[in-house]
Amino acid sequence: MDNNFLVIENISKSFGDTKVLENINLNISKSEFFGLLGSSGSGKTTLLRILGGFEKPDTGRVILDGTDITNLEPFERPLNYMFQSYALFPHLNVFNNLAFGIKENFTQKEIEINVRNIAKLLSIEHLLNRRIKQLSGGEQQRVALGRCLIKKPKLLLLDEPLAALDKKLRSKTQLELTTLQKKLKITFVFVTHDQEEAMSLSDRMAIMKNGLILECSSPEEIYENPKSLYTANFIGIANIIEIYKKDENFYSDDLGINFKLNKELKNTKTNILLRPEKIKIQSINNLKTSSFNSFSGEILEKSYLGSFTRYEIKIKNMIISVLDQNFNSSSNYNFPKGEKVICSWESESIKVLED
Amino acid sequence: MKNKLFEKYFVFSPYFWLVLFFFIPLAIIFKISISVSEWGMPPYQDIFLFDNGFKINTTFENYVYIFSDYYYIGSFVNSMILALISTFFCLLIGFPLAFYIATSNIRLRNILLVLVVIPFWSSFLLRVYAWKIILQNNGILNVILLNLGITSEPLQLLYNQYAVIMGIVYTYLPLMILPLYGYLNKFDLNLIEASKDLGLNRIKTFFKVILPLSIPGIVAGSLLVFIPVVGEFIIPEMLGGSDRLYYGKILWEEFFVNRNWPGASALAFSGIIILVLPIVIFQILYSRWSQKNEI
Repeated sequence: MDNNFLVIENISKSFGDTKVLENINLNISKSEFFGLLGSSGSGKTTLLRILGGFEKPDTGRVILDGTDITNLEPFERPLNYMFQSYALFPHLNVFNNLAFGIKENFTQKEIEINVRNIAKLLSIEHLLNRRIKQLSGGEQQRVALGRCLIKKPKLLLLDEPLAALDKKLRSKTQLELTTLQKKLKITFVFVTHDQEEAMSLSDRMAIMKNGLILECSSPEEIYENPKSLYTANFIGIANIIEIYKKDENFYSDDLGINFKLNKELKNTKTNILLRPEKIKIQSINNLKTSSFNSFSGEILEKSYLGSFTRYEIKIKNMIISVLDQNFNSSSNYNFPKGEKVICSWESESIKVLED
Repeated sequence: MKNKLFEKYFVFSPYFWLVLFFFIPLAIIFKISISVSEWGMPPYQDIFLFDNGFKINTTFENYVYIFSDYYYIGSFVNSMILALISTFFCLLIGFPLAFYIATSNIRLRNILLVLVVIPFWSSFLLRVYAWKIILQNNGILNVILLNLGITSEPLQLLYNQYAVIMGIVYTYLPLMILPLYGYLNKFDLNLIEASKDLGLNRIKTFFKVILPLSIPGIVAGSLLVFIPVVGEFIIPEMLGGSDRLYYGKILWEEFFVNRNWPGASALAFSGIIILVLPIVIFQILYSRWSQKNEI
């Protein structure tokens, strides 16, 4: 795959004294669905607005499909931007909103055909004569999407595409958006603060913090092998344990147990990540306690989540989260609060956070 | 019960205001306009006579007199043209200013708004008089032009219709800027970005997005300038010359110089009807249109 379809090179941006973006470099492939994930103030929206041409970067270049677009005006760029608020034109009906970007260069007949096609694609044919105010949030989102897609952009930028929708509609639209993107093969770059949204939509995603890209990889890779403490905490639930070298093994003061690691460490002291679903939980009678990669603790809290039960298990000075899949349909399968249990895991499940 | 009574009064208070300060004075003017004029104080006869039994003493001759003389109609036309031109220039200058104020950051916006309002803190008469000083033959502007060598002798800047238009645009500009600002302030700037993103340059974006969505503000500001300018008396009197007669001046002369109260009242009443009726009709049509278009 052409990895240089969209190249973001050394982009920096400051507003006054505040540095919003610092030396951003990203390569995005053609037809990729790429997510920029970060909390507010991370600079993700500024980066998207630079791609859209609404902000000029202080340094760096943006190259789209071999052309340097850094200094092009928004109306000269072969890309489109979907606004978080949708920014639909209230003085025009749905038809004219969809036709807005193609009225210049198309004949009346071509406009008609294009609008019908895009409306069919997004199943909004019945709304063409409606006013914007008469549309629901989901319908507005489709019109905003259609208004961009009708221009057949090389790149579509989406600012929090699902944030304005209610929860149920969101998961439905998520699926529709990925299906649509795979069908049209247009490169999508979107911004979100919602990690679930980023994980489910993205082929690859970048984690942003304070104007820097911390990590950029597939959602699986970022979840399973995060490089930094921040990413580990930001994506999913994380048990972070501080360990240090003691004789041949590693020891945690908080848990009072030994860890066996498969690889050598650079430092003598480091943080490790143990995802809650990687921990196996067993009754204390079933197993004899081993001194490696397991501990016994007391169940402090438990919340039944249907397919999973989440336990908070206290051991020595720490509380460890464990997600236990509910294999058994019997309701007494769950461990009661206050019960002593044994938790264990495979050595491979331990991820070392060296940064 | 008491509360309900209060609510009723409260709801109707704008109407009391309208009746007290618009309809009653209008009725009095109408009454005078259909009276027979005579020498005396007041210079017209009562419309109801009770001397030899009840008799209604009215005439429409004042209206016939006004409408048959181009002197009066012409002055009204002049005033309408003056108001149209002044409104146009107020809009031309006021719109970009209002847009700039509405889109600048909050600190600059507040400073600019104060600057727009500041002229209201000094007397209207004084401000017009200041223009007279600036524009007169040995005034600041002519001195500068002479010293820069742009002209060899002072220009006649005062006492013509251009000075009147300039004075009106200057004094009425805030009345255009403030309602426009009120609408543009609520303008979603993302719409401008969306338009550019969809391929329209600045000029096309202005005509396709900004202008259609600013119509309510433009209408409000234009009416606020147009209506009072038609009756404007002081500015043409101070800055204008004898090249053009305006409605306000004719009205004043008819009342105070000719002491023809019935004639002046007929002129005033006709002016209000000619001015207000189309605007009322326009407002009704416009509110229907804007409801339909949801602007």
